[in-house]
Formats: sequence, structure tokens, C-alpha cells
Amino acid sequence: MKIKLYITVLGLAFVCNTATSQDVLIRHATVLTITKGTMTNTDVLVRDGIISEIGTNLRAPRGIEEVDATGKFLMPGIVDAHSHIALSSVNEGSSPVTAEVTMEDVTDPYDIGIYRALAGGVTTSHTMHGSANVIGGQNETIKHRYGKTDPDDLRFLGAPRTIKFALGENPTRSHGRRGSQGGGGIVPATRMGVEQVLRSSFENGKRYMESWDAYEIDVKTNPRAVSPEYNDRMEIMADILRGEILVHCHSYRADEIAMLMRVLADFGVTKITFQHANEAFKVAPELAAFGASASVFADWWSYKMEVYYSTAYNAAILMRNGVLTSINSDSGELNRHLYHEAAKSQRYGGLTDDEALSMITINPAIQLGIQDRVGSIEIGKDADLALYSAHPLSVYAIPEQTFVDGKKYFDRTTDPDDMRIQVSPTASFSSYETQITGKDHFHGDNEILDFEELFGVVLETTTSTSTSN
Amino acid sequence: MEGVHLSLSVFTRQSIFMTGHPRTPKRNRVQILPLLLAYTFCVLAPQIAFAQKNSADIPTVSNVVAIQGATIVLSPGNSIEEATVVFRNGVIEAVGKRATVPYDAQLIDGKGLTVYAGFIDALSQIGVPAPDNTTNNGQQQQVVDRSDPTFDQAGITPQQEVRSVLKPSDASVDAFRKLGFTVAHSVPQGRMLPGEGAIILLSGDNADAMVLSDEQSMFFQFAGARGVYPGTPMGIMAKFRRLYIESNRRIHLNEMYDENPAGMVRPPSDVVHEAFFPVISEKRPIFVFTQDALQVHRALALQNELKFNMVLTGLSEGFDTIDKVKKSGVPVALTLGVPAKPEWAAKIKADSLELILASFNDDTRTATFRDIEAEKRNLEAKQLISRKQYLDMPAQFAAVGVPFSFTSFGVKSTDIASNLREFTASGLSPDAALAALTTTPAGLLGLSASMGSVEVGKMANLVVSSGDVFDEKSFIKYVFVNGQKYEYEAAEKKEESGASRRRGQ
Amino acid sequence: MNLLLTFILAFLTLFQQQDQEQKARQGTYAITNARIETVSDGTIENGTIVIQGDRIIAVGKNVTIPPGAEIIDGTGMHVYPGMIDSGTSLGLTEIGSVAETNDTNEIGEITPHMDALTAINPNATAIPVTRLSGVTTVIAEPSGGLLPGTAAMVNLFGYTAEQMQVGNAKMLVLQFPVKRTGGGRGGFGGGRGGFGNGAASDPDEEYKKALDKLNEVWDRAELYNRIEEAYTSSPQGKVRPVYAPEMDAIRPVLIGERTLMVKVDSEPAILAAITWVKERKIQKVVFSGVSEGWRVADKLAEAGISCLVGPMLATPTRGSDRYDRAYSNIGIMADAGVKVAIRSGESENVRNLPFNAGFAAAYGLGKEAALRAVTLGPAEMFGIDKDFGSLSVGKKANLFISDGDPFETATNILVLFIDGFNVPIESRHLDLYKEFLNRDEGRLKPVEVLPAGN
Repeated sequence: MKIKLYITVLGLAFVCNTATSQDVLIRHATVLTITKGTMTNTDVLVRDGIISEIGTNLRAPRGIEEVDATGKFLMPGIVDAHSHIALSSVNEGSSPVTAEVTMEDVTDPYDIGIYRALAGGVTTSHTMHGSANVIGGQNETIKHRYGKTDPDDLRFLGAPRTIKFALGENPTRSHGRRGSQGGGGIVPATRMGVEQVLRSSFENGKRYMESWDAYEIDVKTNPRAVSPEYNDRMEIMADILRGEILVHCHSYRADEIAMLMRVLADFGVTKITFQHANEAFKVAPELAAFGASASVFADWWSYKMEVYYSTAYNAAILMRNGVLTSINSDSGELNRHLYHEAAKSQRYGGLTDDEALSMITINPAIQLGIQDRVGSIEIGKDADLALYSAHPLSVYAIPEQTFVDGKKYFDRTTDPDDMRIQVSPTASFSSYETQITGKDHFHGDNEILDFEELFGVVLETTTSTSTSN
Repeated sequence: MEGVHLSLSVFTRQSIFMTGHPRTPKRNRVQILPLLLAYTFCVLAPQIAFAQKNSADIPTVSNVVAIQGATIVLSPGNSIEEATVVFRNGVIEAVGKRATVPYDAQLIDGKGLTVYAGFIDALSQIGVPAPDNTTNNGQQQQVVDRSDPTFDQAGITPQQEVRSVLKPSDASVDAFRKLGFTVAHSVPQGRMLPGEGAIILLSGDNADAMVLSDEQSMFFQFAGARGVYPGTPMGIMAKFRRLYIESNRRIHLNEMYDENPAGMVRPPSDVVHEAFFPVISEKRPIFVFTQDALQVHRALALQNELKFNMVLTGLSEGFDTIDKVKKSGVPVALTLGVPAKPEWAAKIKADSLELILASFNDDTRTATFRDIEAEKRNLEAKQLISRKQYLDMPAQFAAVGVPFSFTSFGVKSTDIASNLREFTASGLSPDAALAALTTTPAGLLGLSASMGSVEVGKMANLVVSSGDVFDEKSFIKYVFVNGQKYEYEAAEKKEESGASRRRGQ
Repeated sequence: MNLLLTFILAFLTLFQQQDQEQKARQGTYAITNARIETVSDGTIENGTIVIQGDRIIAVGKNVTIPPGAEIIDGTGMHVYPGMIDSGTSLGLTEIGSVAETNDTNEIGEITPHMDALTAINPNATAIPVTRLSGVTTVIAEPSGGLLPGTAAMVNLFGYTAEQMQVGNAKMLVLQFPVKRTGGGRGGFGGGRGGFGNGAASDPDEEYKKALDKLNEVWDRAELYNRIEEAYTSSPQGKVRPVYAPEMDAIRPVLIGERTLMVKVDSEPAILAAITWVKERKIQKVVFSGVSEGWRVADKLAEAGISCLVGPMLATPTRGSDRYDRAYSNIGIMADAGVKVAIRSGESENVRNLPFNAGFAAAYGLGKEAALRAVTLGPAEMFGIDKDFGSLSVGKKANLFISDGDPFETATNILVLFIDGFNVPIESRHLDLYKEFLNRDEGRLKPVEVLPAGN
């Protein structure tokens, strides 16, 4: 029946190639390696999803797909260190501490945002929990293998575990200052409260870890030893203390950035990436001394009080002061032109080409712990690549093809217009959707909206002084 | 059906009527006709009131029914013509072309009728009324800490038994019975862990009469309580894991404590965690309801991690997960629901729709305003194709060899008959459809010894249809639940199909 | 030391001014030997442009420089007309999340008399931040409700509304009614009852009501206009008309003295708006937003309606749309013959207007048309092209010197003229940069940085 043919066509369009790694030979490109300079008229050979050779006039293995990149620029796939695409839900905003939830559980491979970012050269995204909670959930690093319908197929296997913290106005508004809307508030309502939530969570995590460690020892000799209660939230706090989870903290003000560094130092946690960190430039020496890194906006400011006194020169100041810095999107719109966001660091701070591009490639890769796999064009790394019509730092550059593991997932000339994997059988297909624009960064109450909108009944809430668990 | 109670007055009246005939003393053979005429009070089960033709005040005179000369579908793909089925006290006594009809049988002419085993709903809320909204408002007065709600507030009540919320007079019972359902696996209403499921008969005047067996299953769905923890899918999954792992820990603690409590702190205990014990220790199945492909993946992830015995139900959009589900070996109950036809399609003739599909081009570009019409046609085609995927799904599961039951969870009863027809029109063989309604759910729920097919010794749960039950022109004339007869009018069937066309989603 | 600071310092020394803080001054200036993009008369290589007071008095290859003029050596530099952003809320809002600082949205559906011009904060922090990108002029719009108010075009230099206003250019804003669509990605779901969870009212009815309301307002405004006209032409013996400031605000549009700015984005709304403005015989009208304008570009061209399009940096309007639709929208419209201008829709990042223009250029509009869409295009639309929008003799001195294409991110704006004032290249962003690039350089004995490194 014809219908079956069409269904097969739809299905084949996306799922036919079950192999995720492929071979391809890209010829005559200007290759921006990021870490080892720029090479003109150069070929890059990809075998089984790995960059295997870089050079001129490479020999083409029989049967390999060739891409003529004459006049074009090849760059590593962009790594977006702060994203909320491809997630069914973002904020478990019911509690100030929700370390136990994870974005791994809610990856949504159907999101068209994955494709739209591919069309902007992005190949890896750090999909994060929202900023409603002081200690939010764990994040998930994904590769943009658009077309796969199994969430597991998007996972960046081997990427280190990371977790989301948030300081400042978002958690205090989500929890402490809800009282104004008729519900009760929970600590924190102030930056002081935020610090105490952090400290008590870490301390409780530490004691939990110690009691389980003690039990593990005890049970070896005493079969009647009783284990402590299993608490998944404290398990994660313990893992953070053990250094097994990288902390990424949404933060803005200089004082709260310094506060978190003190807390982490007190608990022996050494690795931290400050996200957004609009005022990080005010404590750049302290960040450098701690070894902390920053993942910032190119030029968002003034949408909240805590970003009022910030500057677009943030990234440049940090970089010049020795802080590992990346530029991220935190937006389903900005992530489509991160190459342009990075370029702003040339206007605001005079960064060189490689410095600007490193902000969206190798630097975020280091912050996510995946620098051995992606972030630059080097032999042995994953073939996550993007081809541009002009130098990516030019506003006129148009991304033309994007590869993940050597497989092409975006092609400007051959892709049809409608790239949705999932078509609703009932929704009106001509309905206008509100666009995401530059105003998107004012998260406001949208931060906790998905949590409150998801299911039916509302229950009245009250004040509680519990600070953790 | 219980034996007829003969009151003293009957005996007296009998004595009056009987004149000079030599009779065997005490126990007289009772004449049906005088009884019918004479009896004014009867203590009979009120369920007779539902049956269209039997009045409550007329006493039952026979516990045996024989349907003669009908086509009997013994099991999917195995039917006999001009046959008879006999059942006494709700148990099938004889089936076959030459089955003996007992002298005291109530006779039903089965000419032109087809008899099937009664349908079994693998997961439903039949008999479970929707929660009363006023009590919820009452609950709203009470303030809660949303980061640390009580189990009740969070919708975590796995210990809740269906028996205590079952309402035999709920409209759903008859609504589904007249579609041919005789038995259902019903679960309580609620949020993420509403409670335990029970196998119920769609017949009985009180909960105890309806419940065949409870403690059958634990029911889990991805529904959070709004405003409190856990409120999101990731919160639900984390909470589920935590409950499971902590319950496991407590089982071991309890074992130790029971063996020798000396020196041990009494292990913590509450009904919620205790509800998990049979799931962990005795592999009581967890029925998980899924509404989209992502929930299927998430359920499989939890099962893979925690290794509990799982049954996947619902699976709308399951077409994207068929291979993974097959590989997992997890039993499946597919939804009887289908998406409504898009509004625009309802206004267009079928052959125009075919034309739209014929001109579908997967590679459409809409460069300028000149291409808008072509874009519209293409999007229409895509929507039709998308809907088709849902209709084809049961056939696809059958094609890859995954046996499945059907579940009515979340589906309006008035839509079910037409939905089944859409499935069979899309390639699901009637045998496979019947299996999904009878033998497979019987096997899934451990009821194969007594249900699922028309065999001697099995419970008399039967559907008697005026023809092929999946045919649009047929209507269901009788439904027997545990031998109890329910008779239905043809007119209802017409109204039913009209209603389901009118109804949207 | 970075390139920008070098250039700034270099130019400052050329002015022979030793003041610590620069002050904006009018005077006589001559920018020599620069590549001048006039927009109206092509490109002049090695040209000179002379500014006196608030006007351009000479522009060309060989031009007489008045004695005493301050010379700015433009060798290797570019001169452009100041850019115009045709849709922002700059100056009307300071911090998005702080309600007290937002003056864009007054209570009530019908508030056309709310005047944006006088509510603009001339000292908004974002104003200096914005003009450093070469944007010298913006339209500041009220928003919210059917008739949110009257927008105004302002220069980004001045201390009062009178100093900032541009050619008295004001526009009445109309937020055209839109029919709610069920839309979205979820359609079918089992337990939760899926699609359209008991929508409160019928979208068709709602839309009809909104359209009826608009027509009612307009009918009444027309009546008011007749009354006012009759009264003002001969007041004797007539009862004074009622006080209706809302209607007063609509009058100028009815008599063809003010432009009506219709905010529309979706295809059905655009079509309905085209019909409506035709029926109502609106003399001066522009459409603003127009994100689905490409779908009905032919109709817009046919109706001769100019469009303020943008922002380009936005996601597509439909899930089925091509990913670059927002970038290419304006180009398709221009190809069909629609007159276009570019708007950013921004409040604190209006400085990204040139980048919106850059994307528009790359994805179909072309560089020349993109430049025009932020200069002469909007000037013509609002009838101020005699004074603004290009570099020609007699026009106002709104222009800047850059070291390259102002749409490119690597380019820096080095000198800025607004209304003939040589506006200092200063903003809080730059100040913070200067202070914190090397934060502790003034400290003799370093304090131990805590917490210490790991």
C-alpha cells in the first residue's frame, strides 16, 4: 500500500543509517584547528568517525565520500557549555536541593532545536538542569545526532558527570520570595541563605559519606551491621565531594562567586566552572588563583539586577587574566550562531581569531572534561566538524555542512525545509509559534514554569526552615 | 447464580394448586409457570436490573445456559460452526457441535450469532471513579512544604488497594461490558504510584463480589503532583529509584531483625516501602503506563537498572520503540486509543486525501510565497502519514512477533469499537486483535487456566455478537460474566458509532 | 594593549584636548581621506566630509575645509551614516526584571495617548552602550494592549526629549488582533486527555471580539474626528466636544499626519491587517515585526505597505519552517518589491542591530540593501529623509567613523557624531573594561588571593 511506502520514506529519511560513525574526506578547506594554527588548502580524512589524517593531497580510500571544500572554512564542531534543548523538562523547582535528579532521564531526541543548532555548527551540547535551585540536578552532555529516536543514542559516552548549582536571584526568587504570590517561601530568600543551603548540603553529604564508609568497613567483620538509610540526594553530594562530578554554577555577582569558591575550598572541591558569571571579571585574579573557569554570555546584560553592572568585555578580561573562558548560549536561539557570539569578543576586547574561536571549541570542551575527544581538529579526535562559506568569525559566514562522528547531519543545500522527526497527528500545522529572540534571556518565572505547569492539581505551600534534604 | 429460595408461602401455594396428583413428598418439582405468576418478591442479585430483558422481581429458575447453533470462536483462529456451548453456575460444561444440552438449560438460539471468549482489559480504570474534586479543594486548605510533602500529597500511595475504591455502580462498568469486556485489571486513580491493581469481573453488586484477585500488580505512571516534589519526569524517576532501593535495603534489615532483634534498632517501616516488598522479593509485576515514546525509553531504563518485573502499557508512539521493546522481552499492552482525525481532514473526501498522499514529496522547499500552497499540501500529507503510524502500530508489533494485549487506560469507551476497526483496517488481523483481547491478556495476568478461550472448565465469560465482532455492522447481543447474562439492544450499537465519530480526542 | 584602546587614545590626541573626561561638542569638523559610504550617492574613496554645527556642509573628493576646523584623519577608515533601529524599547526600560524600571506597558487595552517620547530616560545606561555600535537613532515603542501608545524616533544623544526628538517623527502603535491557534507539538496522549485541555473559549469567537473592538474604537475615533473638525473650524454656538485624549491621539492618523505602526507577525494576521488598513483608508501605515511577511510578500508589495522587519536573530515561526527563515524573511520580501527597514526589537542590546543587518545581508538581502534598511530606508518611510539617513550636504550630522564594515564584529566604531555633537566613545561597559582589565595594577603590595589555588 502506498501509505506503507510513505511511512518507509519518512522513516528511512532519518533512521536508515544505523551506523553512527562514518568515513568522509574533506578536501581543499581552510582548516582552523584551534590548537595548532590554521592551514589553507588542506584535506581532512575521517575514518570510522575519527580524524585520521590532516594534510595536503591526501589519498582517498576507495568508495569514500568526498566533500569539495574549496574556498570554505572547516572548524571543529561547536561545544555549547550551557543549553536547555533536547530536554522534556528543565527545572525540578519544588526543592532548593535536588541533586538526585538528572537530565539523563529526560533527554528528548525529537527536539527540532537539535537540528537548528546543527545548522549553526554546534555538535555537542551540555544540556543542563535549570537555575531554580541552589543545588539542581545533574546535567547531560549530548552529541547532536539528530534523527535518532532513542535518547541513549544522543549521549556523549564517556563524558564526565556534571551537576548544576545556582546562586543569586533565581533560586532566591524560586524558593524564598514565592511568598508574595500567595504561596509560602522556603530558605533561601537571600544570598546569605544560599550560602547556608550549600554548606549544610555539603556537610550532610559529608556525614552521609562517612557513615556509609564506616558501615562498609564495619560490615566486613560484623554481618549484623545496620546500613544507614539510602538517600539518593546525599549520594550525589558525596560523589561531588569525592571529585567524581564537575560542578557548573549559574552565578552573576562577584561576591557570590567568591562565596562559592570559599565553600568549595572548605569542602575540598577543586573543580568549578562558573556559568554566566557576568561579574566574574571583577574577581578574575581570584578565579585564576583557584583554578576556576568561566562560561559566559557574549553580551547579555541588564535584564536582571544582578547583571546590571556587567560588561561585554567580560570574556576578554577573564581570558587576559588567565581564567579558562568559554562563551555559551543558554538559548535555543543563540546556539544557532555561537560562532557569531564568539566573534563579539573581537569587538569587545580585541581577541585574536584563535582566541575567539577557542571560546566555543576547546575551552568549553575542557570545562566539560571532553577535550580529549572534541574541541579541535587533531588526529585522533572525534570527527565533529562544521564547514562554513566564509571565515566563521565574519557575520556573513554561512554554515553549510555539519558532521558528528564523521556522519553528516546538516547540509544546507540538500536538507528539506521541514526537518521534524515527529509530526503531531492532530495539531494545526499552520500555527504560529512565538519566536525565541534576544529577549529570551529574561528567564523570569519561566524558570519554574515547566515544573508548575506539568500536572493538574495545585497544593498550597507553606514556610519551612529546612535547609536541605 | 444462587439457587432459588423457596419461601414457605410457595410451598403453601403449591399445596393448594396441586390436586390429588401423587407427588414425591418434600421436594416437589416446581412448575415454572405458576412460579412466575405467583412470585412477587424475590431475593435476587440487583445486577439483573442492568440486563435489559430480565426484571429484578422475577426469580431465576435455571443456572444453566446453552447457546445453540452458533459459530463459536474457541480461540483466535480456531472456530466451529453450528455449535453449542453449555455453562452451569458460571463454568463451561460443554462445547462443541454435539455438546449435550442439559434438560434444565436456558436455551438461547445462536443462529447467525458468533460466540467469543469475553474480552480482558490488561490495564484499566473500570469501576474506579475519578477522584472527587471537592475533597481535593478541602485538601488545598491544608498547607504543605512543597520540597518535602507527605506521600499522599506527592501521589505516592502504592499500598492503596483497588478494592477499597471500587464502585460497582460506576458507569464505566456497563460501558465497557457492553463492548464485550468481562474481566479487567483495574488500578486506582492517582498520580505516580496510585496503588495496587486487582483483577475484577465486570459484574457484581459490591467490591468483594467484583474482585477476582487483588495484589496483582503495582501501577506506575509518569504523573507528578503539581507544585510539590517530585513534579517533573526526572523527579519522578529519581523518587522511584529511591523508593525501590531503600525498600530493598529494608527487606534485608527486616530479615535480620526477624531472625534476631537483639541489639538492633528497629528498622524503619511504612506502608509505602512495604508495598515494594512483594515487587522486589516475589517479582510482583509493575505495570507502567506510557503515553509517548520517551516514556517507553524511560520505563525500560528504570527496569534495566533495577531489574524489576515490568509490563509496559499504553505505548502511544510505540512505533518508534518496537525494536527496543522486542529486544527487552518485556510484555506489552497496547493502547486502544488512536489520535483523532485532524480537523481539516474530516472535511475532505477520502479520495482527495489519497491524492494529497500521492503527491507527497519528502524534499519540499518553500523558497518564497509562490510555494505556499505546495507547502500546505505537503504538511497535510505528513500529518496523514503521521496518524497512520499510530493506526499501524498494533499490526507492526504483530509483524515482528511481539505478542501484546490491549489496554483501555485513558481511552473513552465510546471510541473503542471504531478504533479497533481502524486497527484491523490498517493490517491487524482479526485473529491478532482477538488474541490481544483474550488469550494474551489472560496469559499476562495469570488467568489462562480459567479464562481467555471458550473451553470446558473455564469461566463462562462470553461475548455473543450478531456476526464478526470487528465488523461495523455487527452488534453485541449478549455478554456473560461468570455466567451472568447481560443483554443489549442493537440500537445502542448505532448510537455508539455515531458518538465516536462526533467525539474528538 | 588592545586595538580599540589604541585607536581611541590615538584619536583623542588628535583633538588636542587634554581634559580627563571628554565632553560632547558641536563645532566644525573635517574628516579627511576616508572611504565615505553616502548611501544616497554611492561610495566616495579618499573623500572628505565637513560638519558644521548640526549639519553636513560638504562631502566629496575635493572639498574646501573651513579654517579652524578640527581635522580628523580618516586614512584607512570608513564613514557611514548613523544607523537607525526601527523598533526598540530603548530608554523605556532599564532592568527587565525590575518592574519599577519598565515604562513600556501602561494599564488598559486602549491607551494610544501614552507618549513614549516624554517617558524615555535620556540617561539610560543602555544609551551610551548602544551608540558605540554606530546606532545613532532609534524608534522607542510602547507595548501591551490593543493600542499601547505613540512611539517616537529619537537620537541617542541629548538631555531632554526636545533635544533627542528626530523630525517630530511619531507613530501610533496598533497591536493587530491575532487568532489564538491550538498549535504546539503535543496532540495525542492517553491518560491526561491530550489535546486542548478544556480551552476557556473559542479562538474564533475571541478573535472576532477583538476585531470588533478595534473597529469600534476606530469608528468612534472617526466620529470624534468629524466632531473636532467641525468644532475647530467654527466653534460658535456649538457645545464643546467631550474630552477624549485617546481619540485625540488617533486623530493625526486619520487626517494623514501621523503614521500608523501596525504590529503583526503571523500570516493570517498580516493578511487581515492589509485588508483592514485598506478598508479604513489609512493614509500612512507601516507594518512592524512581520516575521511571516515572506509568506505574503506579494500581497504586501501590491498593497504598497512598508515593513519594519525583525529581529533577524530569532527562531523560525513554525516547527515545519526552514531553520534560517528569520534570517531570509526580509530578503524575500525585498525581492518581491516590499520597502523594508530593519528593527532589533531590543531594549538593552540594540547595539546588535548591525549584526541583524549582517545576517539579513548574508541570507538574501545583500549588503547594500541591508545598509539602506538601517539608514535611508526608514528615513524615507517616516518622511525625515531630508535631514537623515544618508551622507549628503544639508543633512544632519549623524555619522560614525569605523575601521571596517560596521556589520562585522571585528570592526570598531572610533568616532561618533550625533546631531553634530562629537560624542565621546564612552560607556559603562568600556569603563568597567578599563578598570578591571588589570584590576590590581595600582596596588603596591599584593594581598594574598584567597582561597588559594588548588
